[in-house]
Amino acid sequence: MTTDRPSRRDELERALREDGDRLYALALRVTRDPDLAADAVHDGFATAIERFDDFRGEAAVSTWLYRIVFRKAIDRLRRRGREQALTEEMIETDTLPEMRGGSSWSRPPDEILLGEEARRALEQALATLPPAQRAVFEMREVEQRTTEEVAEKLGMPEATVRVYVHRARLKLREALGPLFKGART
Amino acid sequence: MKCDDLRRRFAEYADGALPDDLCAEIERHIEGCRPCADLDHDLRDLQRMCRESPRPCLPEEARRRIENLLRERCEPE
Repeated sequence: MTTDRPSRRDELERALREDGDRLYALALRVTRDPDLAADAVHDGFATAIERFDDFRGEAAVSTWLYRIVFRKAIDRLRRRGREQALTEEMIETDTLPEMRGGSSWSRPPDEILLGEEARRALEQALATLPPAQRAVFEMREVEQRTTEEVAEKLGMPEATVRVYVHRARLKLREALGPLFKGART
Repeated sequence: MKCDDLRRRFAEYADGALPDDLCAEIERHIEGCRPCADLDHDLRDLQRMCRESPRPCLPEEARRRIENLLRERCEPE
């Protein structure tokens, strides 16, 4: 008996081909650690293999994998105990302590360039966001996904996505304040 | 519209999730309010910075690990 339905291996290999980079990017946004991120993606595929028969037909494979990898990245981060013991609340909300990068912004506005320095400053500021908030923000703003897409991929309400993105924007604006002030005309 | 009203609705405004008349009201307020205009300007700049950020790629070694996993753990077709 033959079937036209793709096999588990075919579907997961296709997901790796088409979404591997984005899944890794998601895990990296949560963990800020390339090794942890790679492990989280690996964990995600391992889980997908085990649970594939339970999954079929509920959503796109990529969407399902996004949610699994997102949780695996948080699990890896929690297990690693990065910086300090992270509780679930800290990962999801704004209760991480401030981690100042130490850059000096006391330079005249015309010396602050919207180039490599700005990108480094942005990276540093992003690292201070709670992991879940950071992942949502970057999917929305870096990957330019819609709120609906982010909500679907991560299995959270659109209102939560919007709140996370807005809070992240305000925090980053505060962290990058002098940079923006110098760029205003 | 007051500044607090704008800030409360700003997330939806930035998302394009507000009706046209409310958007117009926000934009009129921004034109006449320096702090809110600065907020709008800064968040647009932030968005632009983010869109110019490099996109990470799954390292080749990690990709091979997953390919091996799929080969070892999925039934042959």
